[in-house]
Order: sequence, then C-alpha cells, then structure tokens
Amino acid sequence: MANRTDPRARNIHGTNPQNLVEKIVRSKIYSNTYWREHCFGLTAETLVDKAMELDHFGGTFGGNRKATPFLCLTLKMLQIQPEKEIVVEFIKNEDYKYVRILGAFYLRLVGKPTDVYQYLEPLYNDYRKLRQKTAEGKYILSHVDEFIDELLTRDSHCDITLPRLPKRYTLESAGTLDPRISALEDHFEEEDDEEEGEDANGAAPMEVD
Amino acid sequence: AEDVETDDEVNEEEEYEGWKARELARIKRDRAERTALAKEKEELEKLRSMTEEERAEYERRNPKEQTQKTKKKWK
Repeated sequence: MANRTDPRARNIHGTNPQNLVEKIVRSKIYSNTYWREHCFGLTAETLVDKAMELDHFGGTFGGNRKATPFLCLTLKMLQIQPEKEIVVEFIKNEDYKYVRILGAFYLRLVGKPTDVYQYLEPLYNDYRKLRQKTAEGKYILSHVDEFIDELLTRDSHCDITLPRLPKRYTLESAGTLDPRISALEDHFEEEDDEEEGEDANGAAPMEVD
Repeated sequence: AEDVETDDEVNEEEEYEGWKARELARIKRDRAERTALAKEKEELEKLRSMTEEERAEYERRNPKEQTQKTKKKWK
C-alpha cells in the first residue's frame, strides 16, 4: 500500500502523522497523478531529488482542489518520517529554496516548539523569491522570510492546520528559549531614536506661545 | 509558472529593501505585542496590591463593560 504510513514511524501529537493532513485533502493527494507517478516508493534520499525539482509551493487549487507537488511531498514526509538530522539538512541547505521551505514546513508540523523557533527563525534572513500557487490556481510572488513568518504566526498554511505553537515570550519566560536578536536590531534602534528625535523637534514649537 | 519571476539575481537591491521593510515591521509587531502584555501584567499587579477601599474606588472609576444585554420582553 503506497498510502500507508511507515510502520516504524512514531506517533506525532498523539496520532498517525498522516492525520495532520485533513482527510479530504489527504484523499485529494492520494488520487493525484504526481503523487501516484512520482511519490511512489520514495525514500528520504530520493525525496530530496523530487524536492529539488519544485518550482512553486501551495496547498490545493482549482474547482476540484487539486494538490500541488509541494503538498504531496509534505504528506510523503509525514508518511516516511525522515530522521530529524535529515530535516535539519533540508532547512540548512542554501542552494535549493524549495527544499528549504519543505523542510521548514515539515518541522513546523512535527517539531517541538523550541525546535520550531530555533530552526525556522534564522530563515527570516532569507529573502529569496518564491512562487506561490493560490487556491484559484494563479501564481503570486512570495519570499522565504514571508513563508516562515506565516508558519510562525498563522494557524493554517497550504490547506494544513498547523499544530498549536506557544507564543515566543511564553517560552522565553519559561526559560526554554533565548530572545531572538534580529539582523536589523541595531538598525531598528537607530530608526526608533530618529523617530523620537523628530517627534521631540516637532512637538517643541507647538509648546511655544 | 513562468509569469512570476523568481530569479534571485535580478533586482537584488530592491529585494533587499523589500526584506528590510518586512523585517522591521516584524520587529515592530513583536515589540508592540510585548509591551501590550507587560502593560496588562502591570495592571493586574496593581489591582492585586490594592486595599479593599482602593479597589472599590478603582472599580467605581473604571466600570466593567456590560457584557450581558438586558433582556427584552417578548410581545
């Protein structure tokens, strides 16, 4: 059975990992030609080759909610459950942006909250362009950092409901996560000061009679 | 798929500026969330440390919003 989960796969969030994809979307994927022709019998190694060929991401589209190859590969990963090191390799690789976001998406679905923040946040600095397929089947422009932001702030993405992720400051106050220092932190301080300076200057003449 | 240009070599400068704007907006959002949370916490602390009289006075000045609407009679 090509649609079965690897019997050695661990439960994720207390259930079969494939259940993270809702039943209807899952059945759309199972009947997809890309799934049948290209995803059959994939292993963690051969999946990378498929991921390298990706040129867009998205959920399902069109009147019959056809699944994108990106979504098919996500389900495949849930099925074969590659080791964490492999997923981290996906995320850390610099050459293939779609391999990167596929790894990020997968980690967001199955990873611990601290891991999700730790491995995904560095990708905020990756502003390469991505092609996103909308539900209407049109392509729009997106960026890796936008994709990551959506993963960390929204509760569903690409027609998959994302597991609940605690807010960053909750984890910080519990001491399990260090504060994030943005690459633009210094820049932000400067701009803030400038704004305050302008405000002060702007307000000063008003007080004079 | 070719109608959206995703070649990262073109317009690199512009892309960087776009990212900068997005990143700054994210920092701003994050900070606003944190200050809102801190404010709420402070308010709660203040309320808890009040004496009975102060509390009554506070509630008189900041009445709770009425959530339950008064029922209308059926005709």
